[in-house]
Amino acid sequence: MTVAALPISPHPAVDGGLQLEVTNVSPQTDSIVSITLADPSGRKLPSYVPGSHLVVQYGGEGVNAYSLTGSGNDPSEYTISVLRVEEGAGGSMAMHRLTAGDHVYVSRPRSAFAPASTATHHLLVAAGIGITPVLSHARAAADHGTTSSLIYVYRPGAGAHVDEARELLGPALTECSNRDSFQTVLTEQLTAQGVGTHLYVCGPIPFMDAVLDHARELGWPSARLHSEAFGAAELDEGEPFMVNLVRSGLRLEVPAGVSLLDTLEKAGKSVPNMCRKGICGECVLPVLRGVPQHRDLYLTDQEKAENTTMMCCVSRSEDPELELDL
Amino acid sequence: MSIIIDKDMDIESLPDRIRRFPFPFSGDTYRYSANVQPANNAAATDVGSWGAGVIDIDEFYLDELADRDRILRRDPSRMQVLPHMRPAVWDTVATLLPTMAEENPDIMSFHREGNNCRWQNKLQNLDVEFTVGDDDSLPDGPLRFLGTQIQDDIVLLDIRDNTMWLDAGLVSFAADWSFGFDVGMSFMEIHHPVPRVKEENIISRAEQFLMRLQPGEQFRRTNWTMTIGRRLDTSTETYPEWGPDRGTIANDPDMPDKLHLRVEVQHLIRLPHTGVLLFLIRSYLLPLRDIAQVPTWREKFGNVLAELPEDMAEYKGIIRYRKAASDWLLAG
Amino acid sequence: MRSASMPPAAGTGLEPGFRGVICASFGTGDTAKLHSDGQPKHDFRFDAATPEALSQLRSALGCSKVGVRLLLAGPTPDIRAAAAVAAECGLQQEEMTLLSEEAAPRAIYCPHCHSTTTTLRVAGSEVRCKGCGTNLTTTDHFSRRMGAYLGYQAHVEEAS
Repeated sequence: MTVAALPISPHPAVDGGLQLEVTNVSPQTDSIVSITLADPSGRKLPSYVPGSHLVVQYGGEGVNAYSLTGSGNDPSEYTISVLRVEEGAGGSMAMHRLTAGDHVYVSRPRSAFAPASTATHHLLVAAGIGITPVLSHARAAADHGTTSSLIYVYRPGAGAHVDEARELLGPALTECSNRDSFQTVLTEQLTAQGVGTHLYVCGPIPFMDAVLDHARELGWPSARLHSEAFGAAELDEGEPFMVNLVRSGLRLEVPAGVSLLDTLEKAGKSVPNMCRKGICGECVLPVLRGVPQHRDLYLTDQEKAENTTMMCCVSRSEDPELELDL
Repeated sequence: MSIIIDKDMDIESLPDRIRRFPFPFSGDTYRYSANVQPANNAAATDVGSWGAGVIDIDEFYLDELADRDRILRRDPSRMQVLPHMRPAVWDTVATLLPTMAEENPDIMSFHREGNNCRWQNKLQNLDVEFTVGDDDSLPDGPLRFLGTQIQDDIVLLDIRDNTMWLDAGLVSFAADWSFGFDVGMSFMEIHHPVPRVKEENIISRAEQFLMRLQPGEQFRRTNWTMTIGRRLDTSTETYPEWGPDRGTIANDPDMPDKLHLRVEVQHLIRLPHTGVLLFLIRSYLLPLRDIAQVPTWREKFGNVLAELPEDMAEYKGIIRYRKAASDWLLAG
Repeated sequence: MRSASMPPAAGTGLEPGFRGVICASFGTGDTAKLHSDGQPKHDFRFDAATPEALSQLRSALGCSKVGVRLLLAGPTPDIRAAAAVAAECGLQQEEMTLLSEEAAPRAIYCPHCHSTTTTLRVAGSEVRCKGCGTNLTTTDHFSRRMGAYLGYQAHVEEAS
């Protein structure tokens, strides 16, 4: 064990996840490093959907999401690649300090960029570090016997996983190092795909928007277009707020990343509940004052607008304080 | 939670089929709801519990599997896999067999090295080796094989374009629906015939919920209807065989023994590698006479049947006899 | 986009790489009314959705490229069958337009013998299955894949 010890407690975003050991760290480029993680006792890791990401806790507080680069079929290790961002929140710098033997908390793999099962060909488009999830797609496609092709844009000398991509895709890989050649290749490929093809793009947001816009102009409907959107499928942790339980005379703080239901239960209040996901309607609470931030699927739009009830398993508060009839 | 049981009822002496039965009613009325909860924890009933694990194996194991085998031989349309669902079938096998081995270590074991697997099941004196991804490595293919190992019916829902599609499955014990006809339909299309749910928005909420599940997450819910005779195959396909009983059971002196409460325990599992939603449907049958052995069940079920609105009773196919059943239960 | 040097795909008359509009009409169905916004257009005329017609459509889609659109006109059972084939080829719902003729016959699926019977009667009425002779009650439960509505044996519960 080195100095980068395991944080004292897991962040809510990685709670219920895994505690893994760094087994290998290898530089891909001057600013990108690949980190391999495995179970310390050598057990298999959960399989994952191609294009999935891991939420990794760094330092004591922060979490970042990184794409997994493997096919996801029955893995014994997870590999992520991290671009060092000097002006970022510090996550990538902390990740770059990891060495073999360090332990980290990670979430279970989360899927938000899945391949379409009906596709007979996958057209993958990546810029820079955006190579990571599409590499996972290319590997899974090879596993399943479907074909894929990749357009990979990177600055000369700054491309991660280039050798792996060449080996995996052979002539189906097109490498581009400037904008003009990329535009030409993209147009060529977008007009030459059979009707079983789906498009997947990952890279900086303006890059993804430009590729998707171009595809739409050439008649690609949205059902064929897939782009990486980190965390789109999950609820963000939200802001902390206070609740005032009028009948019990209790005042509680609900921290970011902790649900109101959890907070109430920790304070010894029992609330009937079932799904804890905002769908079953069991944990409804009457609101006396304040505007809830409704994040459930149960209440109708009209009920949400009335702001007299809320689902405490997922919903939070727009106001600094909510008053509840509890 | 208070447990009110007649003083003269000896819970210990009740048979397993009652003590393990997933009695679905918590009160005296029933309406459709998105009654989902996390799987893998025991739900207590007034006389026992159910649902500690995902795959339940009980005294009817071999009988029900033999029944399924007969049904599939007679009507192969009960099992279908659209071509793009082959990886999801393997994902199901690679998820459920290890789960069964973990839940029943004394009778089952599963080992995997790469894609090579070995499965042992002492209940069937079975020891097989197969390769994940190779359909020919299991007799009659992976889905048919899985159907010889678990009592549950298997439905696989693909998620594409923000919609769920019923694109594969093995359903031998359908409760008044036709799997073979519904293959390829969207979740909304499948539920089109169910009354009320459109108005109450339940199906679209359920669909949103299921699509937001992350791979590896496991939930469950119950559903219920009634079946005449200890008959699991009440599919639309065989309706001419079992349908006539609905018209005669109310006046049948053997009604308390022939008429069963049928409860489905449905597990909803987002498969880890394909992200496909696995929907397992395990059907339990308990005759009215057994239900009447538990006074709280007799009363609740009697009241639920008496109160159930006409349209729901019609859809469940119980409208011709629910009053007779309710009267018998409440007469105690 | 169109290149004169490319030979047409066998049997379809369609150029490889076609990204325009494929118009397929069945029976008296007519796709001519519809504009294709100046895009290249290719017409097919079929009497009905026979296996041969569907196979021609399949090979036309097989040599088309993403961007292609499909217009189908004619009796509902025919254009539903054609749409199911197109979906199998990978065409998305947004890429197809279906113009169905009013008062067209409906296909009824018999779950007891797995055959399909066409009828002009409305949902709820009865039709005799041409496969097994059973009197079927027809429903409005529809399968796009089968292009048919579900039926089931009538009057079963009224016995004795």
